Amino acid sequence: MSWVLHRVDDRLIHGQVVVTWSHHLHPARVWVVDDACAHNEWESDLLRACAPDLEVRVVDVAEAARIYAEEASAPGRALLLVRTLQSALALVEAGAPIPRFNVGGLHYAAGKDKVNDYVYLDADDRRAARALLERGIALEVQDVPAARPEPLTALDPGVTPDRS
Amino acid sequence: MSPEPRPGGRDEAAPATVPVPALVVMHGDLAQALLRAVEKVYGSTEGLEALSNEGLSRDALQAGIQQRIDAWPGAGIVCVDFWGSSCHAAAACVARTRDIVVITGCHLGMLLDFMHNRETHGRDALAERMRTKGLESIRLVQGGAS
Repeated sequence: MSWVLHRVDDRLIHGQVVVTWSHHLHPARVWVVDDACAHNEWESDLLRACAPDLEVRVVDVAEAARIYAEEASAPGRALLLVRTLQSALALVEAGAPIPRFNVGGLHYAAGKDKVNDYVYLDADDRRAARALLERGIALEVQDVPAARPEPLTALDPGVTPDRS
Repeated sequence: MSPEPRPGGRDEAAPATVPVPALVVMHGDLAQALLRAVEKVYGSTEGLEALSNEGLSRDALQAGIQQRIDAWPGAGIVCVDFWGSSCHAAAACVARTRDIVVITGCHLGMLLDFMHNRETHGRDALAERMRTKGLESIRLVQGGAS
């Protein structure tokens, strides 16, 4: 199986991904799943330029769901990046059988509450997180490989699905 | 564009009517630390500003860069730590709509060269000079007993 990391990160391709995770996991490909970037040639070119040692493919959610199984059996390792928890949920709802997401960076914006130094959530983020968790998908907060992964539910009990 | 200024230090093709400003955008406290080092070596950081990417999404970092450079009197330079970083990506996005040159891989020697030449060089000549000086200063010193 080629998928070695599915990451939620609002910076998409950046230092932690290009330098740290790539040296840790040695991927051959990075899939950036983002509707806005996929439909913007300049943004797609920038993302590819930011990781010159990797093959970067920028696709929208529908395309990612379509190719997901094919990539899973492709030679070499692959990383998948989405910008938001909502995109992660959309990808799963579109049919990609993703077992877990690494929550690597959801930075501060107005209306968001601090979960830790690099994860801030609002009500809509929590709804998406809850929907993912209800589908049995694990959400692990971890910015870099050297950090200990922690379940999002442990850091933010507000995302825990209602079991009643 | 000539990579080096003409003799006499002034780039006649694009003389600086006002000293060139620069914004240093880097991870953690690196930009602030570099400015402190510039102050120690050069004695001033006039014309240099620092911005950290810490805690910022790419969009927020882009907005922060844009806000700083919109206050400049003229064209300037944005120095970032490394190619492929969020600092690079955000600055590259800003460069689509603003008159800036982005320099990646910026280090102390390049900022000192900036300070020495920001009043005598046009922006483009200065950026090219910083790139050249930066590359020239990266060398290997081979150790070991002979």
